[in-house]
Amino acid sequence: MRIEKERGQSPDHAPRAKEQVNGAVLKLMVEAGLTWLRTNQQIVNSLNVFPVPDGDTGTNMVLTMQAAYEEISNGKENNFGKVAHAIAHGALMGARGNSGVILSQIWRGFARAVDNIETLDVPTFVKALASARDTAYKGVVRPVEGTILTVIKDVATAAQEALPETNDLLQLLERIVKAADDSVQRTPELLPVLKEAGVVDSGGKGLFFILEGMLRYAKGMPLDAPTSTVMPIASMNLQRTMEIIEPGQDVEVVIDFRPYNKLDIETFYRDLEKMGTSIQLGEGDGIYRLHIHVSDGRQYEPIEYVKQVGIFTKVAMENLAAQMEQSEEKSGIAQLTLAPVEPGQIAAVAVAPGPGIARVFASLGAAAIVHGGQTMNPSTQEILSAFENLPTDKIVILPNNKNIIRTAEAAKELTVKKVAVIPSRSVPQGLAAIMHLSPHEDFNTVISEMEEALLQVETGEITRATRSVEIDGISVKEGEFIALHNGNLVAASSSLKDITLELLQIAHADHFELITLFYGKDLTKQEANQIADEIRFAYPEQEIEVQDGGQPHYYFIISIE
Amino acid sequence: MTKEVLPLGTIYVSPRVIATIAYQAALQSYGVVGLAHKNFFYGVSHKLVKDPLHGVEVHYDGVEIRIDIYIIVEYGTRISAVASSVRDTVRYQVEKALGLPVACVNVHVRGLRISEVD
Repeated sequence: MRIEKERGQSPDHAPRAKEQVNGAVLKLMVEAGLTWLRTNQQIVNSLNVFPVPDGDTGTNMVLTMQAAYEEISNGKENNFGKVAHAIAHGALMGARGNSGVILSQIWRGFARAVDNIETLDVPTFVKALASARDTAYKGVVRPVEGTILTVIKDVATAAQEALPETNDLLQLLERIVKAADDSVQRTPELLPVLKEAGVVDSGGKGLFFILEGMLRYAKGMPLDAPTSTVMPIASMNLQRTMEIIEPGQDVEVVIDFRPYNKLDIETFYRDLEKMGTSIQLGEGDGIYRLHIHVSDGRQYEPIEYVKQVGIFTKVAMENLAAQMEQSEEKSGIAQLTLAPVEPGQIAAVAVAPGPGIARVFASLGAAAIVHGGQTMNPSTQEILSAFENLPTDKIVILPNNKNIIRTAEAAKELTVKKVAVIPSRSVPQGLAAIMHLSPHEDFNTVISEMEEALLQVETGEITRATRSVEIDGISVKEGEFIALHNGNLVAASSSLKDITLELLQIAHADHFELITLFYGKDLTKQEANQIADEIRFAYPEQEIEVQDGGQPHYYFIISIE
Repeated sequence: MTKEVLPLGTIYVSPRVIATIAYQAALQSYGVVGLAHKNFFYGVSHKLVKDPLHGVEVHYDGVEIRIDIYIIVEYGTRISAVASSVRDTVRYQVEKALGLPVACVNVHVRGLRISEVD
């Protein structure tokens, strides 16, 4: 590792019992802080519940510190103030996320206090920490306590208190790392959302790791093995670890066990690190939960190891590669919030060809979604099971494809519920129909209103020809874009933009008000927006909406109403 | 007015409520030192606003909620990072409070406050 090497070459850089340090030492300290933070990045990520629980605090802080370090990594500057300013500049330029911005402000305040200082001594360090705290607090109208802000405040206070007692920088650093640790442990008391989640603040913990990394480096401790922590079982987020599958580490093993004696955490971690990665250890009521990724074929090793130190109560094993695929498949459906159904209400079941379209149907009040469309017709059983468990006996089905109407009709025969199939032949028709869904109204009235709505919308679809053919006087070559207007082939072209405009012209889009483009999974949002801009230019009177439909095969499904 | 139709009655949420949630979320967001008036010319004389409706615009078209928010940022912070965290925080807090999806949050940086000169 780089730090070890550099220190080996110039041992006088290790600040043991130092009263003063220069810019070159600061550089090594920052590198150590960054290295230690990066080593413990996943721990910080897993704590992230505030302000938005998106699990990126550790990553953001590492990227910010890395930008700060890159600013000085090649310099030979010895002036402490100049190095500090360069760090502050780098942190500002690379600030990422909430915690990254706060971190950059901390560095900015720190640098301001050491302006023109050749070497740092204890009084200046104390002053610089106070300045860091002040600058950090100035950046927000309503500081939230129990965050990284509280930690820098407590650190500055601890430094102030230590000032009369020491003139040794290493001793001071030890005091502030201790203060940072205590402060982090108190964060759940100050911020209820942390307490609810059973975690400490992630940004505060990140700041602690930076400071602790500096101290560990000064004491000559290693920085490459993650800190051996035991977190509360409740806060172990095993979901998120899926994002970081290392090549070859395909199997996730989770073991619950009760150790015979008090667990020696350091040894435990060291032994397990020989077997795999992504090690997490949780504890609750004397039961420990171990999480580890190992390569295929070695999945029994952690179990054998755990058997030596305790009695295991439960083992779970999962194939990560397969798990990833599954979660990708599910991600489209999982976020759907379907309309709740009460007994006696009318519930709508919609067939949707893509995740985006499913979301739109759900937001308009569909109580169940069946995935399917052209070339992937759902079975009668799938449609049936989508509504069989709904707590009502009045069901309307929107097949949204002419090939699925018959399947839906068949589902009607297999149930005792009152089922009506609204013969929507396309997604736009289905959407127009569901707009008229009033769950409390009379069943027959709603059905006739929904059926009427089918006629109020024009459907356009753009896909690619799978073979060369001539239909209705239009000759199509294989691979060309083809446009369908209400299900009939009307145009073929090699340009997606041209055919979209041609289709709108054939559909007399200028007589309508709203054109909605659902772009398929083969198009990016940008590509779709480019074409939408062309349409806006050609149809200035009409409102153009672009939606991520996510459907396969169809580049666009267009609703004209 | 956003509307959620529930079996025992309908819940209406006025744009002011959404604006207040967004306002609070933005003010707790790091790097934001205030909200500005959405109308630029009016805003020059009333730089910081207390009424959430003046610094936040809420649009609801019956399907989705769109929010425009006008902020003043502390000089010396990375504006893009501050703005994106405002966007994420506002969206998260509004969605959490209302249980309705927010389609987009547009953040307009309307000014910088210089409290310390480097």
